[in-house]
Amino acid sequence: MLVKRSSGKPARGSLSRTLTTGIGAPVGRRGFLKTSGLAAGGMAALSALPAAMIRKAEAGPTIPNVETVTRKNICTHCSVGCTVIAEVQNGVWTGQEPGWESPISQGAHCAKGASVRELTKGERRVKYPMKLVDGQWQRLSWDQAIEEIGNQLLEIRQQSGPDAVFWLGSAKFSNEGSYLYRKLAAFWGTNNVDHQARICHSTTVAGVANTWGYGAMTNSYNDIQNSKALVIIGGNPAEAHPVSLPHMLRGKERNRAPFIVIDPRFTRTAAHATEYVRIRPGTDIPITWGILWHIFENGWEDKEYIRQRVYGMDEVRAEVKKWDPATVERVTGVPGEQVKRVAEALAKNKPSTVIWCMGITQHTTGTANVRALSILQLALGNIGVAGGGANIYRGHCNVQGATDFGLDVTTLPSYYGLAEGAWKHFCRAWDVEYDWMKSRFASKELMEMKGIPTTRWFDGVIYKPEDIQQPSPLRAMVCFGHGGNTVTRMPEMIKGLEKLSLLVIADPHPTTFAAIKERRNNTYLLPACTQFETDGSRTCSNRSMQWGEKIVEPIFESKDDYTIIYLLAKKLGFADDMFKHITVEGTRPVPEDILREINRSCLSTGYTGQSPERLKMHMKHQADFDKITMQATTGPLKGEYYGLPWPCWGQPELRHPGSPVLYDTSKHVMEGGGVFRARFGVERNGVSLLAEGSYSKGSEIQDGYPEFTMAMLKKLGWDKDLTPEETRVINAIGGDKVDEVSWQTDLSMGIIRVALKHGCSPHGNAKARAVAWNLPDPVPVHREPIYSPQPELVKQYPAIEDRRDFRLPQLARSLQFKISDSDLRQKFPFVLTSGRLVEYEGGGEETRSNPWLAELQQSMFAEINPKDAERLGIRDGALVWVYGPENNAKAKVRALVTERIGVGTVFMPFHFSGYWQGESLRDNYPPGTDPIVLGEPANGVTTYGYDPVTFMQETKVTLCRVEPA
Amino acid sequence: MARMKFLCDAERCIECNACVTACKNEHDVPWGINRRRVVTLNDGKPGERSISMACMHCNDPPCAAVCPVDCFYQTADGVVLHSKDLCIGCGYCFYACPFGAPQYPQATNFGGRGKMDKCTFCAGGPEADNTPEEYQKYGANRLAEGKLPLCAEMCSTRALMAGDGDVLADIYRERAVRRGYGSGAWGWSTAYGREDRGRAFGPGRSGAGVGTSGS
Amino acid sequence: MRRKDEKTGIERRDLLKGLGLGAAGAAAAALTTAGAAEAAETPQEQVKSRYRETDHVKRFYALNRL
Repeated sequence: MLVKRSSGKPARGSLSRTLTTGIGAPVGRRGFLKTSGLAAGGMAALSALPAAMIRKAEAGPTIPNVETVTRKNICTHCSVGCTVIAEVQNGVWTGQEPGWESPISQGAHCAKGASVRELTKGERRVKYPMKLVDGQWQRLSWDQAIEEIGNQLLEIRQQSGPDAVFWLGSAKFSNEGSYLYRKLAAFWGTNNVDHQARICHSTTVAGVANTWGYGAMTNSYNDIQNSKALVIIGGNPAEAHPVSLPHMLRGKERNRAPFIVIDPRFTRTAAHATEYVRIRPGTDIPITWGILWHIFENGWEDKEYIRQRVYGMDEVRAEVKKWDPATVERVTGVPGEQVKRVAEALAKNKPSTVIWCMGITQHTTGTANVRALSILQLALGNIGVAGGGANIYRGHCNVQGATDFGLDVTTLPSYYGLAEGAWKHFCRAWDVEYDWMKSRFASKELMEMKGIPTTRWFDGVIYKPEDIQQPSPLRAMVCFGHGGNTVTRMPEMIKGLEKLSLLVIADPHPTTFAAIKERRNNTYLLPACTQFETDGSRTCSNRSMQWGEKIVEPIFESKDDYTIIYLLAKKLGFADDMFKHITVEGTRPVPEDILREINRSCLSTGYTGQSPERLKMHMKHQADFDKITMQATTGPLKGEYYGLPWPCWGQPELRHPGSPVLYDTSKHVMEGGGVFRARFGVERNGVSLLAEGSYSKGSEIQDGYPEFTMAMLKKLGWDKDLTPEETRVINAIGGDKVDEVSWQTDLSMGIIRVALKHGCSPHGNAKARAVAWNLPDPVPVHREPIYSPQPELVKQYPAIEDRRDFRLPQLARSLQFKISDSDLRQKFPFVLTSGRLVEYEGGGEETRSNPWLAELQQSMFAEINPKDAERLGIRDGALVWVYGPENNAKAKVRALVTERIGVGTVFMPFHFSGYWQGESLRDNYPPGTDPIVLGEPANGVTTYGYDPVTFMQETKVTLCRVEPA
Repeated sequence: MARMKFLCDAERCIECNACVTACKNEHDVPWGINRRRVVTLNDGKPGERSISMACMHCNDPPCAAVCPVDCFYQTADGVVLHSKDLCIGCGYCFYACPFGAPQYPQATNFGGRGKMDKCTFCAGGPEADNTPEEYQKYGANRLAEGKLPLCAEMCSTRALMAGDGDVLADIYRERAVRRGYGSGAWGWSTAYGREDRGRAFGPGRSGAGVGTSGS
Repeated sequence: MRRKDEKTGIERRDLLKGLGLGAAGAAAAALTTAGAAEAAETPQEQVKSRYRETDHVKRFYALNRL
């Protein structure tokens, strides 16, 4: 009998048409799947692969009768920190399961996290060391590679000094890898060591640290569920941090919280907003002051909070007064009524939180943008409060940790800076003589001078030597885990690449650096493995540390970062000193030991309590933590916060629970409470900088107080609480200046322990600074972008004066005026802004090499508004040229015609590379390592412009022209 | 008995495509086959909503109704599966399906399509559960392991749900109450509207008599 | 029926063309023809219920209620 379920009339409802053709116009960027297909080169490469490489080694996730081992690690694609559960059979990662127990991700992933198993199949990975000889890639052994690289580095050092080498580290390092790399640069003798934070949140770190003490997200993703109103400005977490969305949407749903998105682009996040505010790119301060204008005007600010905990708000009032609704509308394009609605929503639904990302930070006014938002939250009394906070979403999986451990041209690990005291502290911690360390540097001056940042490393190569404030221009770059298409001004980057004598890339993938055709010799590729092939800790955006377990051994000939760093140190001749207190098994330093050294030395950020043993316990007992407070409610860790979010004060034995919300006075310091950090003195112009009548619960000092030193302990009579051993260590450190030993330099951690015992924060109890007098703009002021689309506003809101910093000259106002006085605006009538897509990460090499992700987005594109497209005769999906105003820059991309972007603005995603000005670079990659999907890099057309505080690049506002190709 | 359904909460879906890559990962689905897709409506405009779509395992599956070789069958859980040994790749099911679910590994100039492939609700196919043979043809069988489809299990925002239809309907109702509004469970009336629940029926001519009845 | 839907049909075929090429797809197709008779289930086994409300499943439901 034929089993028929019905008479055979196919159901073809409206749903069918909806799904396959969309409503009316094209289905958006997924429409490219059908319209464009895969670029020919990618297709050819894909079909050339043996079928066995595309599938797994064996049949399926479960090979019958083979033991399955489950291992726990953390996703390597963003700072949310989703737990990855791996099933391993015969040493092969064969299955991935949801990590239900993770307090953060609760089993969830985004497209990237759900596809990480592919990374250890890695058919497109760099499989063995290679070097570029006359444009051809040659295989060589690890021994030979390290030998040749080391010899060249030593020769360059001999000829041009240690500062001629640029050490570029990575936010994809573990904490231990980050710390080790910073230490490597120190032992080499340079501060030219940096990483991706420079181009993502360097301005956030500078902005918030200068406001209230520490450079990090104040609350957590989970805590957003407590928010009564959310503002997301300059961020698109639905694509950049998808697993933050469940927390945000639960907050929105449960609290019926206004969900406000302020962005030039109607993002996937904006699709879920209750209020979407479209601003002109680069007008973040005007919109923020516009909101604050209504708050002050209506007396909605938290006056008592400001009195007790904020310095200088009156000076802000004066600036904000200029931003009345009419002025705000003129500059930002946002109607006055809407600004008022946003202000009221924030002020009347407290606690309210402000969330930001690269849309705030990647500007010539990045630090000032961050400061303005911080001040807004201070005015509302939202900092140090559950449900409030400045929830700054960091980008990479360990960009917070890599920043904390000093992959930064301005500081040693843990923000100690570069002054003599900082070096002496670390020399003690590392057990090396300060004088020896000094001898590693070209001079004491250079030892204490900020290095050249990654946004401008190529200027350090190509500028005239007299313009570069170090003995020699950069001659070599050693680059770990960093894309080559991530910095603006790529045409000039390529010149730098060409001129660089030595280029070393240690990465799972070749990166854009390897594919640039202008460079034909002396590039080395070292296969570094992913974090799934090693173990170590990483710090999520909310400051929680998570320990990742090695899932499989490094694939092919790859090695982990620790090993590669060790091999380099050994060849360069200082491994014995560098690893004096770190066990090295064979050639692999043990990450647990590195973390223990971090625990001993990184006092100032409270990275001391998170021992490897405690972190492993947290991973094991994930299920015991509450899903909102992140506090363990049961089990052996009861009372501790998940991942011991820093600061986690004192020795691990003290069992500090970690700090879930920074500066939260409602809790005792031993229960994760805190106060604003006193790091800017105690008084200014006769006004106290210390808190007034505000202190954390249980504090024996019921007022503000400076940071703890021996002198202060003595004054309080608390020095008697120190143990004899602590006193001995303090005396040994202090010598004849014992009183100057502070909580930050006391390696015994006795001062910290005693302060906590009395309910005090070791870093003092100060006011947050609405006025940061050490910054170029003590109170944030609006400044038009260098390439302003509104030249008529430039004279009123000019860029800062030209200046020098980071060993390089910085052009600003002169360039801006030159541009606004020219006819450039007519030639380049569009504003160009950039951003990210959910399926790719960063420079994109890794994710564009993953077929499960690559299939989802096969073309680079530029979004353009239908009105503009119609005027220019550009149809959806057609190829267009996007021209940039510098260096005859151009990029050939597909047009995505959409109302997502406003009239007059063009948006490009920044994850693509492997095409250059219409030409494919596929053949330049070492065979078999070319990413499946290639495209034009957005930074091929981005332009000059840097934040004065951190040299952050401007990626969000420049000018461009679009023409049909 | 529980009836397996998918439910995608459009208020939660952010088009992150975790469901899509989770599916690829779990079953090693090759390039070009998309058992699951995320579709966005009103892309880039206010009112934009996304929905994750795959085979909905309909009560009265139109694919089965038009299949000339009767390769489809429906399990007691309501999951619609098919035999690739019987499938001739004619493509009728693709035309019949209101959700565009059936996929074909290749398309040639002569219209040859190869064996149809689609979402199995992570329940494998007619080979013995969780054998290499079953995995090679149909992918993993999570349902037999006491688990649910990985796409739903890994969904970033808990938009895509899979499991006992009654439980899902309850969860969705709770959400609508909490929010103060509801936009309806997308695709449910098309997939599950015809009868209260799907009934098991067997594959092919050899499957005659299995399950309770035809329509 | 065919003719009536020709327009949509072409569009869908285009979709398939865009998606369906490449060695990977072909490889999968080849695999499916290699049946293993001894692994086949009886018709009764095929349609039996497999769903169980395990702890794993309960956990999934609970997370969806958050």
